Amino acid sequence: MITVKNLFHSYSNDERYAVNDISFQVEKGEIFGFLGPSGAGKSTTQNILVGLLQLQKGEVQVAGYDVKQIKNKMFNKIGMSFEQSNVYNKMSGLENLEFYGKLFDVETREPMDLIRMVGLDGKEKIKAGEYSKGMKHRLTFARSMINNPEMWFLDEPTTGLDPAIASNIKDIIKEENEKGVTVFLTTHNMYIADELCDRVAFIVDGKIRLIDSPKQLKLKYGEKLVEVEYYRDGELRKESYSTVVEEEKNKLIEVIRGNDIQTMHTKEATLEEIFIKVTGRGLV
Amino acid sequence: MKLWYSFIKEMKLSSKSWYFYIELGMAVVLLLILIFVVPENFDTKGEQYIYLDLPQVVVDRFKKDLLEEDLYGAPRFVEVEANNTIYPAELYETEETEIYLLNSMEALNAFSDSERVPTVHIRVNESNQIVQTYYLQGYETQKLKNLLLVFQNRKAGLDVIEEYSENIVVKSLYQDTEPLNDRENVIPVFLTFNGSLMSLFIIAAYIFLDKDEGIIKAYAVTASSVWHYLLSKIGVIIITSIVTTMIVTVPIMGLQPNYPAMLLFLVTSGFFAASLGLFLTSYYKDIAQAFGALYIVIVIMIMPNISYFTPSWDPDWVKIIPSYVMLQSFKEIISVNGNMSYVMLASLGFAVLGMDIFILANYRFKKTLTL
Repeated sequence: MITVKNLFHSYSNDERYAVNDISFQVEKGEIFGFLGPSGAGKSTTQNILVGLLQLQKGEVQVAGYDVKQIKNKMFNKIGMSFEQSNVYNKMSGLENLEFYGKLFDVETREPMDLIRMVGLDGKEKIKAGEYSKGMKHRLTFARSMINNPEMWFLDEPTTGLDPAIASNIKDIIKEENEKGVTVFLTTHNMYIADELCDRVAFIVDGKIRLIDSPKQLKLKYGEKLVEVEYYRDGELRKESYSTVVEEEKNKLIEVIRGNDIQTMHTKEATLEEIFIKVTGRGLV
Repeated sequence: MKLWYSFIKEMKLSSKSWYFYIELGMAVVLLLILIFVVPENFDTKGEQYIYLDLPQVVVDRFKKDLLEEDLYGAPRFVEVEANNTIYPAELYETEETEIYLLNSMEALNAFSDSERVPTVHIRVNESNQIVQTYYLQGYETQKLKNLLLVFQNRKAGLDVIEEYSENIVVKSLYQDTEPLNDRENVIPVFLTFNGSLMSLFIIAAYIFLDKDEGIIKAYAVTASSVWHYLLSKIGVIIITSIVTTMIVTVPIMGLQPNYPAMLLFLVTSGFFAASLGLFLTSYYKDIAQAFGALYIVIVIMIMPNISYFTPSWDPDWVKIIPSYVMLQSFKEIISVNGNMSYVMLASLGFAVLGMDIFILANYRFKKTLTL
């Protein structure tokens, strides 16, 4: 669905590249996470993919279209949810969606369905300018689905949302993906990437350091241990057991069967820990 | 259809915007100024301040000559103020001039020193000759000074001057057209600035508002073209300028203007000005950054006004400033039997130039969507 080969981009038109020779592919139906700290080149790459930034050097194909010669009809297949909400403040939520629905050549979704989907029903006739930041963000997210996109670009889709609404947004992304929608997710939130992505790319200083599935990364970089806290003889004990050594696995089973377990955690690495380990950089 | 939807959306948004009502309000204010402040004809009579430092018999003869041309057949005794002091004076009023006879050298000096008007001291010298001393202010032209020297020093006789005057061929600037009165003459200025040039600034305001809200980016990732977005904005601007122009013109001019030509010219000149505004805004992120460029454009566009009200100052370089052409075109449009060839040519010029700038602006916007 997306093919990027040797992509470069410089804002100063010299050799100071914001994106420096990156290549990757996103398969149809995949949720691909593009992860990195602020200024890593995530948004630059995404802006090139959707035509907001002109392609300077490299080859990019999105949804079967060459981004070098971008055509309007390409956007019939693409949806884009921006990190910064950008809706018409003087129009209501419903009017915003109705208007954008008219700008596509394909069958579009019912605006009210989308309004309900993101939990803005009952507020659809209020001017978007009067919405809270989170509500505007949801409206921007809903707008990106208006044309039933095959390729869906999501830039920090849960930023600024409370946990319940963020969970709702994640569910929508999963549902759309199950219908076959390919998702390109740009985020610095490793938890949402871990939960949603089939594969992730780590980008730092304009270069991709690694591309793999979260599961593989955890297997590769995490410790295969389970840490257990339990009471024995009135005393709180804390022990670690290997999940690969047969003897320790049996001991763990005995501990679980014979004691009052307080806490139990696998010691697999988080994506954030892996990111730091691989890139030597934090995610802020 | 997408262009139409965008245009309708822009109309709705404009109707909810302050800029729209500011423009309409300004048009009403300009109309009120035209009706209540600008007279149909300005009083252009010159003023002369004279002190007759002469024997009474000569003074009487002088006044008798003045009365022959006086509109009222008798002098009016008035008080005039100079340098915060009130002085008595006799006022004689002819078709072209108001002549104030002052009664002291002190009054004459006060007018010359503080009111910046030319004054004349008429006296008799030792040889019993009448001497006229002009206290000029420095802004008088050399031609006027020469004329005074020739006339007062009898370098040429009156008969010579009269003969010369009679042989001067005067060509009327208005052939078949009737000259506009002073109030009507101000209308092209209002139309140029409120109708056409305001388009340049208002569209900049609309675009920067959208840039601030990130609207252009959202539009750019739809199956509609960026030029639809830009053209729909221009459409709204042109509609607004047509409405504001009608508010100013119809109550003052009635059916006299050539309205079809006016509509055509508003569309083309508005398209040109709005395209220029778009092109400028494509280089800047917000209105604060763009202010320098907009200010320079304002100053350049104002210059033809000087030429418009001072026909003797009409250098060729002013004529290539678009607002000069706009002023002249609006003047022709509202005049009886105005030169429509000029208006049509100007409309064509603005349409072609506007299209070129619009194409450039569209290219710039596509290139700078993330700005």
